[in-house]
Amino acid sequence: MTPFELEEPVLLGAALALLDPEDSSVRAIAGGTALMLMMKSGLYRPRRLVSLRKLAPALDGVRSAPDGGIEIGAMVRLSDLRRSAVVRAAAPVIAETLLTHSNVRVRNVATIGGNLAQGDPHMDLPPVLIALGASVRLAGPGGERIVRVEDLLTGYLETVIANNELITAVIVPPQTGWRTAYAKVTARSADDWPALGLAVSVRVEAGIARDARIAIGAATETAMRLPGTEALLAGRAIDDALLQEAGRAAAAEAPVVADHHGSASYKRVLVAVHLGRALRQTIAGAER
Amino acid sequence: MTAPRTIHFTLNGAAVAATVMPHQSLVELLRERFDLFGARESCGQGLCGCCTVLVDGRAVSSCLYLAAFVDGAGVTTVEHLAADGDLDPVQEAFIETGAFQCGFCTPGFVLMTKQLLDEIPDPSDDDIRHYLSGNLCRCGAYPEIVAAVKLAARRQRGA
Ligand SMILES: Cc1cc2nc3c(=O)[nH]c(=O)nc-3n(C[C@H](O)[C@H](O)[C@H](O)COP(=O)(O)OP(=O)(O)OC[C@H]3O[C@@H](n4cnc5c(N)ncnc54)[C@H](O)[C@@H]3O)c2cc1C
Ligand code: FES
Ligand code: FES
Repeated sequence: MTPFELEEPVLLGAALALLDPEDSSVRAIAGGTALMLMMKSGLYRPRRLVSLRKLAPALDGVRSAPDGGIEIGAMVRLSDLRRSAVVRAAAPVIAETLLTHSNVRVRNVATIGGNLAQGDPHMDLPPVLIALGASVRLAGPGGERIVRVEDLLTGYLETVIANNELITAVIVPPQTGWRTAYAKVTARSADDWPALGLAVSVRVEAGIARDARIAIGAATETAMRLPGTEALLAGRAIDDALLQEAGRAAAAEAPVVADHHGSASYKRVLVAVHLGRALRQTIAGAER
Repeated sequence: MTAPRTIHFTLNGAAVAATVMPHQSLVELLRERFDLFGARESCGQGLCGCCTVLVDGRAVSSCLYLAAFVDGAGVTTVEHLAADGDLDPVQEAFIETGAFQCGFCTPGFVLMTKQLLDEIPDPSDDDIRHYLSGNLCRCGAYPEIVAAVKLAARRQRGA
């Protein structure tokens, strides 16, 4: 790694002031798991890193919101997120997803804020949070704004977060009536980076899919929703024919790209198969 | 500052200070400054577990951890397990079941097993696989490693 300055402010305002709106060689560092990989490979050579470590007390913890949703501090580590009773009650799919996410050591260090800010399409949580309808709180010099996770991620390692903005929290809205499942498909071990991640949320009433949110990751340039497939499901009676039709529609709709986990045509087959399976899982949950 | 800084932390039970560069990793610090060679960098990417150490009781990949971040923390390396001259029950179990060939991966597996048994004293096969899935053994001693974890768990429970 090349040398850099390291600042460790204790107040959010100081951290924001140490970031530089014009200079992307100045960045925040949270757990550092993604940044260390990029710095060790020479992909990123920072001039200055602003550690959020000493802000952790203010950006920590998982809280139930009055509306029945939850708010997760940006510095919450993935292993704490997986164990959180609040998360398990409000959005169990998050805890389930983390079971095959990276490994215990990475989860002990990696934070949810770093996970989202990295903008890496191969991550598991972004599609899950999109399907849950989650948003982030972004703090900047001018105050706070709230951005939906689906609008946060704009391309490969690209987000709408300005150089001098920080994620302070992730907001998951109440999930009353909704069921969410995540299909992680890997080409090697179960806890590898995904070749495809498909998160499916549905609101089912009497066998009819009233509403659906479908998000894809890892097979596309960035995690995104598939609105065409969502519309196809809405208001329809759920049977095997519909699940197959939805799988085909998603495979046609998703702008799938190849990577070292598989070719685009292979990944389209994965989408067609696993969308149906994930939907079946949510529906089975809804009827329990 | 790119300049060196002094950090203070607890290393294997003793209060220590060290001068580190911001871009230095924890595994570099342990090997270069403290002559602790149990943690070793192999993949350098968080995947293999050869560089595992405990920071405040939690296993981390010291190849992906900035040395500066252990300021104020407690760090435990594999060397500490036998500091009193007696091997830890986990180490004994690894020897008794023959859970290694070359031994390069062993410190990492032993420390991951420590965290596992701290959290789940009576782990199922799934628990063991889950905790150890981020550790790689090129000699392929996996069946013996799983047996070693179970033996250590039984002994620690006094069963
Ligand atoms: C071995 C290994 C295996 C992995 N496997 C998986 C996997 O199976 N699935 C998966 O989804 N992911 C996987 N990952 C990726 C992992 O999830 C990310 O590295 C991690 O979530 C990043 O979090 P961090 O806190 O370490 O971020 P950092 O490395 O500290 O930061 C990452 C980026 O986010 C920015 N940032 C950090 N915090 C904030 C904030 N609060 N506000 C604004 N910007 C911020 C930083 O400036 C940087 O650009 C794996 C990583 C490793 C090393
Ligand atoms: S060397 Fe750190 S995990 Fe492989
Ligand atoms: S014993 Fe040789 S790598 Fe595990």
